[in-house]
Amino acid sequence: MTNKIREIKWREHVIYFIFTGIILLFSILLFDKGFLTGSNLMNIARQTAMISIMAVGMTFVLAAEEIDLSFGAVVALASIITAQVLRATGSIILAVIAGLVIGAVIGVINGLFVAKVGIPSFLVTLGMSGIILGIARWVSHLQSIPINNDVFTFIFGSGDIGSISVLFLWMLLAGVIGHIVLKKTPFGRKVLATGGNKISALYSGVKVSRMKLSVMVINSVLAAFAGILYAGRLHGARYTLGGNEVMIVIAAVIIGGTSMFGGKGSVIGSVIGALIMGILNNGLILLGLSVDQQMIFRGLIIIIAVSLTMREKRG
Amino acid sequence: MSEYSINASGINISFDGVQILNDVDFKVKTGEVHALVGTNGAGKSTLVKIINGVYKKDSGRISLFDKSSDYDTPEGALQAGIAMVFQDLSLIPSLTVAQNIFLQTHPYRKGLLIDDKKGNEKAIELLALIGVDTEISPSDRVEDLSVGKQQIIEIAKALSHNPKVLILDEPTASLSSVEIECLFDVIMTLKRKGISIIYITHYLQDIFKICDSLTLLRDGEVVFREETTEIDLKFLVDAMAGGESETISWNRNKAKRKGTPILEIKNLTTNKINNIDLKIYPGEIVGIAGLLGSGRSELLQALFGIDKLKNGEILVEGKSVIVSSSSKAIDEGITLVPGNRREQGLVLDFAVQDNIVLSIINRLKKFVIVDKVKIRNIVNHYIKSLNVKTQGPDQKVRFLSGGNQQKIVVAKCLASDSKILLLDDPTFGVDIHAKHEIMKIIIDYASKGNGVLFVSSEFNEIAGFCDSIYIMKKGSITEFLSDSVSEDELLYKVQ
Repeated sequence: MTNKIREIKWREHVIYFIFTGIILLFSILLFDKGFLTGSNLMNIARQTAMISIMAVGMTFVLAAEEIDLSFGAVVALASIITAQVLRATGSIILAVIAGLVIGAVIGVINGLFVAKVGIPSFLVTLGMSGIILGIARWVSHLQSIPINNDVFTFIFGSGDIGSISVLFLWMLLAGVIGHIVLKKTPFGRKVLATGGNKISALYSGVKVSRMKLSVMVINSVLAAFAGILYAGRLHGARYTLGGNEVMIVIAAVIIGGTSMFGGKGSVIGSVIGALIMGILNNGLILLGLSVDQQMIFRGLIIIIAVSLTMREKRG
Repeated sequence: MSEYSINASGINISFDGVQILNDVDFKVKTGEVHALVGTNGAGKSTLVKIINGVYKKDSGRISLFDKSSDYDTPEGALQAGIAMVFQDLSLIPSLTVAQNIFLQTHPYRKGLLIDDKKGNEKAIELLALIGVDTEISPSDRVEDLSVGKQQIIEIAKALSHNPKVLILDEPTASLSSVEIECLFDVIMTLKRKGISIIYITHYLQDIFKICDSLTLLRDGEVVFREETTEIDLKFLVDAMAGGESETISWNRNKAKRKGTPILEIKNLTTNKINNIDLKIYPGEIVGIAGLLGSGRSELLQALFGIDKLKNGEILVEGKSVIVSSSSKAIDEGITLVPGNRREQGLVLDFAVQDNIVLSIINRLKKFVIVDKVKIRNIVNHYIKSLNVKTQGPDQKVRFLSGGNQQKIVVAKCLASDSKILLLDDPTFGVDIHAKHEIMKIIIDYASKGNGVLFVSSEFNEIAGFCDSIYIMKKGSITEFLSDSVSEDELLYKVQ
């Protein structure tokens, strides 16, 4: 029995311990502030859903040994386009398609520069984020674009089915599909191979360029979808959406066990990483910390958690 | 003057509960060239890493020149006078030769700054010592030099520390015969200066040319330590293999060259090769013999869609095909075992099974999901038929020995059901047993009517193994040999 216990790869599952640890900690500290209530937990899920969905996309990108810094801006632009199309046509379907298409187009542009031209993804997406944000500001004239369509805001934001938030369901859907695609489809294998050793992948017949392009598109489309959800939840779109999310998402994915060096990716881990971020957020607010204090604590915990999960990577 | 530069006794080390070295004694005389021999997994690397300060032994004593030593870092080993030249090059490609040589020591300063001029002068001295000062300039960028030259710079780098003991790990693997002769001259020079050399290699014949004595390791234990004059190659191979004596004569019927070639190349030209014409008939094993730089690997890369064609035609079973990418090559039935398994052949953090099926992963799905059962069956089949020593299909390939890693690469290629198998030095760094097993598999593959194109730096392999041989020199084919030929003749023809 003790042998079996030793066989469990402790380090790979560090994240689950962190997860449980933080829940326990906050449950005890904040019991009287209602941390463990159903409504608070569902609240956490609501707040985390978009981060989780973006984390699913980022998992694919990091697994392929690339990075995307533009997705925060994609959130903004997609939400704005969706809102505008909704106002102009009243068609939810058209609006959603428009938002997702924006994501896809940006993903293709990112992917082409990375895969065909060979510019490091860090640089491409950094540059693109400025361009996209600029377009978002321009197209929206710096105004919020309100959304009055109740069906839209129900499906894509504030709706509840029973006591379960619609956002939670979207998060589950993205997580499950993402997990299956990465771990169980040939496409997912090829993505991991591309990140693990792109030369060997090439020599094994993997179309490495195509893989890199694909993951950039996946990430942008998922970010666009997150934008649609933000718009639904907040009943409006604004160019400031997605501004803070980039680092939180990347941290969530790394805490979740996806290596920054490619070849290893866990969608489930990323979603849990996102939940940890969300719980952290929620707990810090309930603890009554000021915004400044929250930022400091959040940063500290990100560094600690990432170091803990990264220590196993070396050697 | 002490008799032994290194005297290690009772060395024990284990990792994760597995005993890697068991009570090993290891002695190198001052000014001696001593070979360390053993199959993959015998423990040579581990022993040498202990001597080099990378690993810490569990127990045992090491004394250098009769003085007990206790260093446990590579820096400590360097200070104690032990320098190592690794099998995998550790040079910085974007820096110059001189900068690389003095990377750690930077001894030449003008005030606070590095004096590159003096560094260049000293680099020339070191290169002259090795005899390559006319071919390599200290201001050459390492990335512009051939692998053979890089290997020599690695040696110069080690020599810059003025070591009393030099460890060479497979130094001749990527060297041409000319460069090997150069290397042997250097070794003799160092010997005369009283420097001891530990020489690790799979090229057993080199040992009898340049080494004074050898230690044979098997399964982490010393089998014997002998003077090279007291034994011969056959005895050594027997002892390594644990009793199986054979100079393999591959008893096979030479394939007949008739009918439609399974692979035909006309006028193939890329940046590195010129107007190559070549034919492989069904069931034939065709060899390409050439020195490093002859274009032999580049020919394979052109056939596999890695290098772009400037001109020429490729015909598979008489039909002209365009091989614009590796995946197209595989679709057309051509597959390649690349020259560098760690960098080109394997995804090291993937499991054995994921590596084996990587080329054909698209074909192994049930609806959209990978078919685990199908994969398992294929993988188990190859683990068995190639006799791969592994803990199981889920073990990360990183932890397999070199020979078994190579088998995984071969398995991957066989799994793609190709008609034409290209092999770039498939037995490089592979122990004798695994070597023979791989060769048998290739013969089996050819006997089914497939074609094999075999590039190797071991001419005795090509001589004994191939049905016909093309000689390549500097990017072109210079000769075609359809009759049997000896290793010496080949060695001569490729110069």
